[in-house]
Amino acid sequence: MDFQTFRQFVADEAAKLHIEEYELYYQLEESTSVSVFRHEVNRFSDSGEGGVCLRCLINGKMGYASTQLLSEESARALVRRAADNASVLESSEPEFLVEAGQSYQTAAVSTSPIPAADVLRKTALAGQDALYAQSGVVDGSRTEAFAEHIHIAIHNSRGLDLRYENTVSGAFLAAVVSNGEEKANSFKSCLGALEQLDLAGTAKEAADTARATLGAGIAPTGAMPVVFSPKAMSQLLGTYAGVFSAENVQKGLSLLKDKEGETIAAPSVTLVDDPFYKDSAMPIPFDGEGSPTRCKKVIENGVLNTLLYNLSTAAAAGKATTGNASKSSYDSKVGIRPFTMYLEKGELTQEQLLEKAQNGVLIDSLGGLHAGANTISGDFSLQSSGFLIEKGKKAAPVRSFTVAGNFFSLLRGIAAVADDPQPPTSPSFTAFVSPSVLVEGLTIAGK
Amino acid sequence: MISKEICERVLQKASSTGADYAELFAENTLNHAVNLVGGKVDSVHDSQIAGAAVRVFLGLRSVMATTVDTTESGLLRCAQRAAEALAEGKAEISISLRERLFGDIHPIRIVPASVANADKAALLKDACSAASEYDAAVVQVTGTLLDVDRRILVATSEGLWTQDRQIRTRMMVSAVAEVNGETQTGGCRPGARTGMELFEKVDPRAIGREAARQAVTMAGAGYCPAGVMPVAIGNGFGGVIFHEACGHSLEATGVAYGNSQFCDKLDQKIAHEKVTAIDDGTIPNDWGSINIDDEGTPARRNVLIEKGVLKTYMIDKFNGRRMGMASTGSARRQDFSFVPTSRMTNTFLAPGSDKEEDIIASIEYGLYAKEMGGGSVNPVTGEFNFAVNEGYIIRGGKVCEPVRGASLVGKGSDVIQKIDMVSDNLLCGQGMCGSSSGSIPTNVGQPLIRVSSITVGGR
Repeated sequence: MDFQTFRQFVADEAAKLHIEEYELYYQLEESTSVSVFRHEVNRFSDSGEGGVCLRCLINGKMGYASTQLLSEESARALVRRAADNASVLESSEPEFLVEAGQSYQTAAVSTSPIPAADVLRKTALAGQDALYAQSGVVDGSRTEAFAEHIHIAIHNSRGLDLRYENTVSGAFLAAVVSNGEEKANSFKSCLGALEQLDLAGTAKEAADTARATLGAGIAPTGAMPVVFSPKAMSQLLGTYAGVFSAENVQKGLSLLKDKEGETIAAPSVTLVDDPFYKDSAMPIPFDGEGSPTRCKKVIENGVLNTLLYNLSTAAAAGKATTGNASKSSYDSKVGIRPFTMYLEKGELTQEQLLEKAQNGVLIDSLGGLHAGANTISGDFSLQSSGFLIEKGKKAAPVRSFTVAGNFFSLLRGIAAVADDPQPPTSPSFTAFVSPSVLVEGLTIAGK
Repeated sequence: MISKEICERVLQKASSTGADYAELFAENTLNHAVNLVGGKVDSVHDSQIAGAAVRVFLGLRSVMATTVDTTESGLLRCAQRAAEALAEGKAEISISLRERLFGDIHPIRIVPASVANADKAALLKDACSAASEYDAAVVQVTGTLLDVDRRILVATSEGLWTQDRQIRTRMMVSAVAEVNGETQTGGCRPGARTGMELFEKVDPRAIGREAARQAVTMAGAGYCPAGVMPVAIGNGFGGVIFHEACGHSLEATGVAYGNSQFCDKLDQKIAHEKVTAIDDGTIPNDWGSINIDDEGTPARRNVLIEKGVLKTYMIDKFNGRRMGMASTGSARRQDFSFVPTSRMTNTFLAPGSDKEEDIIASIEYGLYAKEMGGGSVNPVTGEFNFAVNEGYIIRGGKVCEPVRGASLVGKGSDVIQKIDMVSDNLLCGQGMCGSSSGSIPTNVGQPLIRVSSITVGGR
């Protein structure tokens, strides 16, 4: 059964139960991927996945139910489940459906079909050749080529009828390198039309990064200046992005309560959220509720300009939505998320940041972010790998050490921001981008 | 769910280009969760997962195609896609399926869907109010009562046709406490492979109080000092150290491709002789337990390490081909849309003969990691990390003041040689484990252990 037919069954059942206000959110992701190991295709996957989420607004409460099964019976059950779920809700937040007739910006999307399996196979094999052309690359290295077509539709009882389609493709190269004594690994992905991917450049970056960590020593212990690489800083931003969610603030789960308009970061910090970011693979003109999206400065020169809002949290705060309603999956509750969130670049090079730091560590990558970072208190203690900074220059590699601090203090402690942001490489609506930054006052634990 | 006759036709189509193995996996799962914020029902998550995956193997090649269209024609199209992607050519094979039952070693009494939302909310309110009432320092409490009712069907070209129903229930309470302007969190998250009878054994109020106790203790704590020191790791969820440091590196997912610190180490001593580690999917009603895995292989008790010697890996059918080894009943997937691979079930360190008090008394200066948080590992290098949710300094053989913000980092192959004392108080804790085949329920467990030296991240 297709979505249009299913939609009619839902409308009929809703009318029968006198449910006047509802929304149907439909998402279908078709994806194909080919993996190569030892120059042979070892895995091929071809999937069609998605479903429908119904939201019913009954007596001011929004009840949800979702299904992947599109049939007349499941349409009826869906309406009854959503209504039953609405009946136990007690939260006092106002709930809304989006009005039809608003204007939306245009996003640069691709409507091309998913490339043929053979093109994916050739890309994955070429990626594997590119990896093995790098010195030190050994067995265990994997390459994958992937393509995904996403289709979203939002339809509500107020006449809203939005559609979105986009195709993304790319390759994922995982290099394992060895110097005969020890192994190290790193991966790198690239996005774009498969024929135009820079596989050689991506392979070189993956292999170089892995090779640079071979023979790594252990960092010293103590407080010292830390330079975060673009990758490490974007990992940290991604982990703590939830603190800017008005939902978390209103529920007492973010320390940014009552901080709009106040200085929360160093003057060099400007943090922007842009749904139409130039290098984003998934720009989108409407959010998870169907509100128009727009670019906004969350932090401007250290001052918290705005939190991120959806309709419900904006109404509770007496503001307008910022168009940041999210659906992390078709079946999830409407939450809040940024699109491409980026730290505006500064004027110094990474080398100049190292020069300023003099002696400390350059953190290239962070691990265990889901465990070692407390998003409420801001405290973190994270596994890291990177390089020593000695006399202002990048020196020997170090790994298996931790960096500890607090995200809110870190924002204030940013001493300099470099000019080297890296484009996002994940095929998703949310991405984090940052240049290198120099931070004072963090603790390193090594030997 | 899907008749044997339809499965036969789907498998025949899947094998039509020469596959030497074909499998149909179908699923119909209800995920339900009631969420409470600040004492009020904030949301109800209610989602039905329904779909199927066809997998075909030819030698060391595997193809999977998935669909949400589980009508016969939808399944046949899915099988056709898989067959075409695997190979060209034609093969005629006849498949005759026979139903097999592997029994149900995890009896369920109260099916969660039979309990009204309001009754679930009442249980959760009990837990959350106990957390709020615990101490005036508790400023926010959130809670979730979730249940999963998963029905799976596995049919294979080897003639297997079997079904299983997997029901799980879990309550999770998080508390936020503020002491002198310092905010910290605490949590308690018990779960089991049972229905709502879980709450006949587990008191919701005790869950709330434990979450609050941890938050209040940690909010009053100073920062953990950094350095290399001996660490005593508490029983229960402390078993996450073995899960991260070694468990993942013993999965065929990495081992089959040479990407593990423990490749080619079978029958060799890889750990201290006090270490015996077991992955057991057959423990009745435990959180990580299964009757059959997601390839239809019955669950097993696998002794991974016995007195320090590596005995087996955890293996699924496809990776087992590359390793020349049979499945250990370890294939798992979050749902039909994930390619199954070898994963853990209930993984724990077996109890030893040391006494808890002797372990603490043996440490002149170190850390007592009473409650662990989550962690992660890079199986290629074995480097792991995890968070300490509740830690105390040990000084002169005595547990002293609480410390917060600690993490433990190291390398799996090193740390299992440094587990040099193992007590006798085995306990398991519940977690969700994430890997390439998605997020699945796993138990981690251990008695109190001593790690003679490890890097503690703090400040």
